[in-house]
Amino acid sequence: MKDYQLAWKNLWRNRKRTLITAASVFFAVFLALIMRSFQLGTYQKLYRDVIESYSGYLQLQNSEYLDEPGLDNGFTVDDSLIVRLEADPEVTAVIPRLESFALAASGSRTQGVMVIGMDPGKEHDGLNLRNRMVRYKLTPGAVASIKSEVLPARSIKLLDLLMNESYTNEEKLLLDLGLSPGDSARYLPMLREHTSFSNGYLNPSDTASAIIGSGLSEYLQAGVGDTLVLMGQGYHGTSAAGLFVIKGIVSLPTPDIDNVFVYLPIEAARWLYAAPGMATSAIINIRNSEDRELFRTQGRLNAVAGGELKVRNWKELNALLLNQMEADNKSGAIMLGILYLVIAFGVFGTVLMMLAERRREFGMLVSIGMQKHRLAKVVSLEMLMIGLLGVLAGVAASLPFVFYGNARPLRFRGEMAKMYEDYGFEAVMPMLQPDSYYLWQVAIVLLIIAVAVAFSVRKIFKLNVINALRA
Amino acid sequence: MKVVEINDVCKTYHDTEIEVKAVNGVTLSFEKGDFAVIVGPSGSGKTTLLNLIGGLDQPTAGEIIVAGHRLSELRPSELIDFRMEHVGFVFQSYNLIPVLTASENVGFILNLQKWPKEKRQARTEEMLASVGLSDRRNSRPSQLSGGQQQRVAVARALAPRPEFILADEPTANLDSKSAESLLDIMEKLNHEEQMTFIFSTHDARVMKRARRVITLEDGKVVSDKRTNHNS
Amino acid sequence: MITSIAWKNVWRNKTRSLTVIAAVTVGVFAGVFSMAAINSSIVQRIDAAVNEELSHIQVNNKEFRSSGDLRDYIGDPGAVISRLEQTEGVTDVTGRIIVRGMASTSAGSSAVEITGINIEKELEMFSISGRLIPGTGSYFGSDTRLNSVFIGEKLARELNIIRYIITPGSLEQLSGEGVPASVTEKLREIEGERFSTEKALTKALAGLLAMKEMKQYGLMIRESAWSYREGSKIILSFLDTDNHQTGAAFRISGIYRTNNDLFEALSVFVPEAELRELTGLNEGQYHRIIARLSDNDLTGSVTPIIKEALPELEVLSWKEIQTDLAMITDYINQIYGMFMVIILAALAFGIVNTMLMSVLERTRELGMLSAIGMNRRRIFVMIMLESIFLSIVGGFAGMGISAAVIGITGKTGINLVKYAEGMEAFGYSANLYPTIGADFFIMLTVMIVITGILSAIYPARKALQLNPVEALRGE
Repeated sequence: MKDYQLAWKNLWRNRKRTLITAASVFFAVFLALIMRSFQLGTYQKLYRDVIESYSGYLQLQNSEYLDEPGLDNGFTVDDSLIVRLEADPEVTAVIPRLESFALAASGSRTQGVMVIGMDPGKEHDGLNLRNRMVRYKLTPGAVASIKSEVLPARSIKLLDLLMNESYTNEEKLLLDLGLSPGDSARYLPMLREHTSFSNGYLNPSDTASAIIGSGLSEYLQAGVGDTLVLMGQGYHGTSAAGLFVIKGIVSLPTPDIDNVFVYLPIEAARWLYAAPGMATSAIINIRNSEDRELFRTQGRLNAVAGGELKVRNWKELNALLLNQMEADNKSGAIMLGILYLVIAFGVFGTVLMMLAERRREFGMLVSIGMQKHRLAKVVSLEMLMIGLLGVLAGVAASLPFVFYGNARPLRFRGEMAKMYEDYGFEAVMPMLQPDSYYLWQVAIVLLIIAVAVAFSVRKIFKLNVINALRA
Repeated sequence: MKVVEINDVCKTYHDTEIEVKAVNGVTLSFEKGDFAVIVGPSGSGKTTLLNLIGGLDQPTAGEIIVAGHRLSELRPSELIDFRMEHVGFVFQSYNLIPVLTASENVGFILNLQKWPKEKRQARTEEMLASVGLSDRRNSRPSQLSGGQQQRVAVARALAPRPEFILADEPTANLDSKSAESLLDIMEKLNHEEQMTFIFSTHDARVMKRARRVITLEDGKVVSDKRTNHNS
Repeated sequence: MITSIAWKNVWRNKTRSLTVIAAVTVGVFAGVFSMAAINSSIVQRIDAAVNEELSHIQVNNKEFRSSGDLRDYIGDPGAVISRLEQTEGVTDVTGRIIVRGMASTSAGSSAVEITGINIEKELEMFSISGRLIPGTGSYFGSDTRLNSVFIGEKLARELNIIRYIITPGSLEQLSGEGVPASVTEKLREIEGERFSTEKALTKALAGLLAMKEMKQYGLMIRESAWSYREGSKIILSFLDTDNHQTGAAFRISGIYRTNNDLFEALSVFVPEAELRELTGLNEGQYHRIIARLSDNDLTGSVTPIIKEALPELEVLSWKEIQTDLAMITDYINQIYGMFMVIILAALAFGIVNTMLMSVLERTRELGMLSAIGMNRRRIFVMIMLESIFLSIVGGFAGMGISAAVIGITGKTGINLVKYAEGMEAFGYSANLYPTIGADFFIMLTVMIVITGILSAIYPARKALQLNPVEALRGE
C-alpha cells in the first residue's frame, strides 16, 4: 500500500478527531478569507475612487509641489515636453490642470473650496466628470410628487431618508429605493419624469462657468444658473477674485470631494489666479495601470521630464490615504494573526494527543519492521491531508460569498452610512475577488502544519520502541 | 430471607445475523448471608448473569426481583439509582476513582446518597478499619498495591449496606497472598454484617471458600451445591 | 464533590490540559488587550472632543449651522444663558461668535472658522489653553493693542508660519539630549538655514546623515529645529454683517497642538470684542451658547431637558454633533464583541478535542461510575465542569495577564508613530493608553463559561452513550 493511501486510511480511523481538527482549520481559513476580502475590497475601492475622480495614476508636477502644494510651485506648460511624453507607448494623453484653494460664496454662504482648472474637451483626464453629471435628483418637490404615485411601501419610506440625494445613473436610483432591475420598466418612466435634472457640461471656451459638486451645491444653496463668487490668492500672492455661473452639478463618490470641488475650464482658472500658461499638475493617462508596469512607465517618463519636473505615481499622490489604510490593514492583520495563533495551538494540541494515543501503535509498527522514516512520512502526510482538507473546505465555502460580495457590494443604510460619510468614505463594503491574499492564507496554514509535522517527526525518531510498546 | 429472585431469565444477543442466548432460562434465588460463586467455562454466561443480577443489563425474558423491585420494569435511568441504593460492586480491576484518596473512594457512594458529613466520615472510618487500611486512608489508588486497591473496593461496596455485593473475578489480578487476604476479609464481612456475596470466578481459591457453588454451562444452571465449610 | 472530582480530573494529564489552557490564555489576552488599545483611542478622542473642541451642549440659532450666515445669531442670549445656568448638571456657560473666513499669510491661505470667545470663561470650560505649544506665546496672555488670535499647529504649518532652523541653541539642546558630536557636527552644514516644511528639513538631513543616524536621531533633530517667531501675524478675512469683505491683521498669541488635524487647521480663536468690532455684531449677539456638564454621562439626561426649555433654538449634545463619536463606541464594541466570540469559537475546537480525548480514555472508569450508581446527570455535570475549568483557568490567566499589561501600558503608553499622520487626520491620537472597563471582564467571564459549556456538550454526550456493560469488559 502506498504511503498516502495508508495516511488517508489512518485519518478515517479516528473520524471525529480528524473532522474536528479539520473543522477548526476550515473555520479559521473561511473567516480569514471573508474578512480579508472585505478589507482589501474596501481599500481597492477607496483607492480607485480617488484615482478615478481626482489623482489619476500618474501626474507630472514641479518637483517641489508634492511637499509644498501651492500655485507658487506650479510650472509653465511646455508643449514640446507634452508631445515627448505622449510619444511613450504607454501614454495616451497628458492633460494639464491648475488647482488651488479659494473661498466660494453664494448669497451669504461661504465655503472653502478646491478649484480645479481642467480641460472639458478631454474625456479621460482622470476626472471622469461627464459620467458623474447628476441626472436625477430627489428634491423635496420631486419626493412630494413621487409619493403620490404608486410605489412599494418600502420605497416610499426610503424616499424621506434619501431627500436631496443626487444620482448620476438610474441603477443607483433604483437600488437605493430598494427596487430591483426587474421593476425598472414599471417605475423608471415615472421616476425619470419627477426627478430628471437639467444639467450642463463645460466648454473649453467658457470663461465664466463652473461645475460644482452636489454636496457643495446643497451647502451653498446654489444650483444651475446661480452665481458663484470665488476669492483667493493668485500666483505670487496676487489677489484673486471672480464671478462664475454654475453651469452643471456633479455627484462625486466620496463626500470629502463632493462637498468642496469646483471645476473651471483651465483658461478660466488661469485667469482667476493670474497664472497664464501655467499648471500645477498634468494628468498622465496610461494604458496599463497595473502597478509593475506603472512604475516602469513612471521611470521612463521621469527620464524624459528631467530636471525640475517630476512624474509622481498614485501612491505618492495619496500618501495620507495610504497611511490610514495601512494602519487599518495592520490592525486587521493583527486580528487575523491572533486567530491563527489560537488555531495553531488547537492543531498542535491535537497533534500531541494523537501522538500520545498512538504511541503503542507506532512502537508496534517499528518493531515489526517499518522504517522510522516511512512512519514519519505517513504521519506527516496525515497532517498535511487534514490541513488541506480544512483549507480546501474553507476556500470553497468562501468563494460564493466573495464573488457575490464583489458583484453586489454590501451597502450601509441609516446611521451607519452617515458615520462612514462623516469620515469621508462612501458607505459601501465591497469584497475583493480571489487574489494573492488567498494564497497567503493557505501559506499560513501550511506553515502551522509544517511546524506540527516537524514536531511529530522528531518525536517519532526519538521513539523508544520498548517503552512505546508498554504504553 | 430472599435477597435476589431470578425467575426463568433469558438474555439473547443479536450479533449480526446470529442469535446468541447468553443466559437461557435461569431460575435461582439468593438468601441473605449467602457466600456464593457462579462458575463455568468462558462463554457459559457467568458475566452476563452477574450483569443481570446487578441491574447493569435487563433480561430479554423472565424476571429478576431485588428488594421488591422488578428489574425489567425499571427504566435505564432508574436502574442507575437502583444500583446505587441496592447493589455493591467489586470489579476485577479499575475499581477506584484515580483522583480520590482511599477514604474518599470508600465514602463515594455515601456521598452520592447524600449522607450527612459526620455519618459519612464515621462509616468510612469503620469500613477502612474493617478492611485493615485505616493507615492508608489518604493514599491515592496509584500508591496502593493491587490487593489494597481491591480491599478499598470492598470497603466502598459495603459502606452503604447494599442488598448484596457482586464481585466479578475480584482476585484475578492478585498474587496468592493478596488474594487470600482479600478473601479473608470478605468472609469476615459476610459473617459480621450478614452481607450476601455473589462471585463469578475461575479462581480455585475462591471456589474453595464458597459455601454455595452454582455451575453454568451454555447459559443454563447445571448444578447448584451448597457446602458446609467451617469458617 | 463532583466539582472537586472534576477539578482533579482536569489535572490528570497535565501536558494536555496545559496546552489547551495556554491556548485560551493567549487568545483571551490578545483579544482583551487589543480591545483595550482601541477602546483607549476612542476614549481619548471623546475626551478631546468634549474638553477641547465641543464641550457638552451647544445651543444655536436654528439656521446657523447650515447657513453659516453672520446674521443668524441667537435672539435672546441672556435668557438662554440664565436658563442653562439654572439647569442641574450644568457647571459653566459661555457664548461664542462664529465667522467663516480665510486665514492668509504671504505663503498661502486656508479656510478657517473664526470663533470670538470670552477668554476668562473659556479658560474654565475648555482645556485647549493647556494644549499651547511651549515657547509659542500664550493663551491671550500678553497685553497688546493689535488683534490677537490663537491658532492650531496644522494651520500654522499650512501658512508656513512654523519653520525649521538648526540654531546653535538647538545643537546645544541636542548634545544635552545625548546626540553624539559626530552627528551634531554634520548638522552644522545646514545651521541657520530656514526650512519652511518638515519635509524639506528631512530631505536635507537625509543628505547629511546615514540611515541609522536618521532613524535614531531624526525625530529629536526635527523637534529641536522647530521654530516659530513669536508675534508672527496672519490676515483674517471674512464678511461683515453688511456682507462686505472685511478683515484685519492678527498677531498670533500662541499656537496649540491637539491630535485632531482637522480641528487644528480650521479653528482659530480671537477675543470676542475684537471680532464684534470688525464684523459689526452688537454686544450680546451670539451665534452659539455652550454649556459644560459636570459629567459626560449626564449628557443623555440633560440634553432633552434643555431641548424642551428652548424649543425655538437648535439644541445639540456633542453626541449629536459628532454622531460618529457616539456611534463609534458602540460600533467598536460590537466588532470586538464579535472578535472575542470568534476567538472563543476557535478555542472551543481545541477544548472539544481535548475533552473528547479525555472522555475516550476513561471509558472503563466512566462505565464503572455508572455501574456503582453515578447517574447520567452527575456524569454530564462532571464532564461539563471539567470543560468549564479548562476554559476558566485559561480565561482568568488571560484576563489577569491582560489586566497587568493594560495597567502598565496604560501608564507608559504605546506609541504608533508610524501611523500618527493618518490617525491624527481623523482626530485620533497615535499614542495609546490602553484602558478597559471592569464590566467588560465580567461579560467576558460569562462568555468564557458559556464556551466551556458548549464545548462540553459533544464529549459529554459521548460519555453518556457508553453502555456500562461494554465499558466494563475486561482488557
